[in-house]
Amino acid sequence: MTPRNFTKWLPAIVIPAVIAVGALAVPLTAGAAVDLPDKTPAQVLALVGTSTVDALSGTIEQTSELGLPELPTTGPTASGNAGAASALELLTGSHTGRVYLNGPDNIRLQVLDNLAERDLVGNGSDVWLYNSKDNSAAHVTLPAKDAADTDATTHGGMATPEEVAAKFLAAVDPSTTVSVGTDGSVAGRSVYDLVLTPKTTGTLVGTVSISVDSETGLPLAVEVTARGQEKPAFRLAFTELSLGAPDASLFTFSPPAGASVTEQALPDTTSLDKKDAADHATMKAEAEKFLAGVTISGTGWDAVVELPAGSVPAELSSSPLLAQLTTAVTGGRVISTALVSVLLTDDGRVFAGAVPSERLQAAAVGG
Amino acid sequence: MSPSDPREPAVTGPAVTGPDSTGPAASVPEPTGHAAIATAVARPRGASGAALLGSELTVLFRRRRTWAMLAALAAIPVLIAIAVRLTSSPVTPGRGPAFLDRITQNGLFVAITALIVSIPLFLPLTVGVVAGDTVAGEANLGTLRYLLVAPAGRVRLLLVKYAGAAAFCVAATLTVAVSGALIGAALFPVGPVTLLSGDTIGVGESVLRSLLIAAYVTVSLLGLSAIGLFISTLTEVPVGAMAATIVLSVTAQVLDALPQLDWLHPWLFSHYWLDFADLLRQPIDWTSFGANALLQGGYILVFGALAYGRFVTKDILS
Repeated sequence: MTPRNFTKWLPAIVIPAVIAVGALAVPLTAGAAVDLPDKTPAQVLALVGTSTVDALSGTIEQTSELGLPELPTTGPTASGNAGAASALELLTGSHTGRVYLNGPDNIRLQVLDNLAERDLVGNGSDVWLYNSKDNSAAHVTLPAKDAADTDATTHGGMATPEEVAAKFLAAVDPSTTVSVGTDGSVAGRSVYDLVLTPKTTGTLVGTVSISVDSETGLPLAVEVTARGQEKPAFRLAFTELSLGAPDASLFTFSPPAGASVTEQALPDTTSLDKKDAADHATMKAEAEKFLAGVTISGTGWDAVVELPAGSVPAELSSSPLLAQLTTAVTGGRVISTALVSVLLTDDGRVFAGAVPSERLQAAAVGG
Repeated sequence: MSPSDPREPAVTGPAVTGPDSTGPAASVPEPTGHAAIATAVARPRGASGAALLGSELTVLFRRRRTWAMLAALAAIPVLIAIAVRLTSSPVTPGRGPAFLDRITQNGLFVAITALIVSIPLFLPLTVGVVAGDTVAGEANLGTLRYLLVAPAGRVRLLLVKYAGAAAFCVAATLTVAVSGALIGAALFPVGPVTLLSGDTIGVGESVLRSLLIAAYVTVSLLGLSAIGLFISTLTEVPVGAMAATIVLSVTAQVLDALPQLDWLHPWLFSHYWLDFADLLRQPIDWTSFGANALLQGGYILVFGALAYGRFVTKDILS
């Protein structure tokens, strides 16, 4: 190749190089060092407590690398276990959502799926859920708020944020080290990084980090990192945030034409008739019985929760989805993720905790 | 030589013995084929660029092949609409292509469903044919050297060829969108449109959003066109360039579907192809539009530079 020809090829070399440099440099500048005035953990917690942001619109991104297999989002399993699968699906994988808030009553959450969307619209006592995939809407009417109740929480004898912060720190002190990490930036805003580190080594959780906006005290990101891991196993963070009241039309919702609408009633405790009251009593008794069977061994981060035999519905424990998620160990089947392990013993008991599965097995044998 | 001169697609091109670039265009007998462009190139810069582009577009949109491809694209929404119209049972939500169940309620969704169906294969296929043919087609017919009589004509020719391919992207996308809207309006009721967020917008705004989606899809195809242009400069066999471009578009989509390669996904030109659904949210989510435009711009720059490097150093023998 002659030198003259070489110059003709220069753009083909320079342009990809510039793009590569740009692709590397942009994330670096975004994460450029931020230096905020130093604060103690108590001061950062107090900052959260004094946060008065009640109107915002933002984009949230959630990523989880729990080490679970990706759940199929289409196909028979997805529709078969709609409830459980969609809850699990939200916890695994990555999601982008948008959130709009205005005051305590107006909220809109949008989970942006591929070619689809799930919406939650709340204004006052009306809550709408909409799923574009099957064009279905659900409506829930919340019981009217007790005015006296609201008063009590907002005005009556509340502890100051500083006091609450101090109490919280004292309460977690035996199990957790609370520190303020390096200042960073989330969604273009400078943040304090509140880091909770478990004192015990018996748990899977390495650190929990909460990014607190330095101006408003709004928590902007939560990261949970597993012990010995570099990248967070779970991260929920704003990628865009603007403070200010969003368009009011976002908080009104009327089900679109052709949508299947279901009206869902909440059990209303104030207007129960006798039959309902009886039902309620049995439900309550069952719940109490259930709770009585639950034992928690240990305290703090490495606590293990034990559910008695029969607490898992048969259709769930025999589900092929569960078989896909679990691995067989001596004494039962285990779901182990980066942060949480669950042991389903052969006799039907369930052990769970943020601990390695070996500990659950030991607890199952010992208990 | 005006851009509207009737010229047959290239078949008559090789019959021309040589360019007549010296005499004023009006005084010489009409040259046929692409040799006509050579006379245009000899004119002053600005005028000749426009004339060259006009000539390129005329040749492109006079080709029977171009019309056949556009007709095939127009047939996609028609087929979808007729199939949905003729089936008696209602479409189950969540089955088949997205939005298929909405068509019976609102004909305007025919265009969107047709775009979703045609983005993975049909649109890249037609764009691959046009972009792969740009330079290789001329080389194959032996008309390329006539186009390059004027000095410094190669860069301009490359730009004009790319503009022609981009114009086809616009035409192809609009064909699907407009034919979908027309057949939808003819066979189904038209009314307020339900967005993904569950909000409802009027017909006027929905037309605006459809145009935005058409713009998004057009932008999505520009990167592929640049790749096609580069491949087209590598060979004198147009079919090879077309096939390579189309295979690349399929490969990119296959790679995009493999979760093991998720570090690569944001760099694939097909990564944002189906994200135009963000324009159907309330409020509109512009993030994917911006990311897509940036990505396609990068592909245009990189493959444009590669095509430039190849084309200006190439020995043109035919």
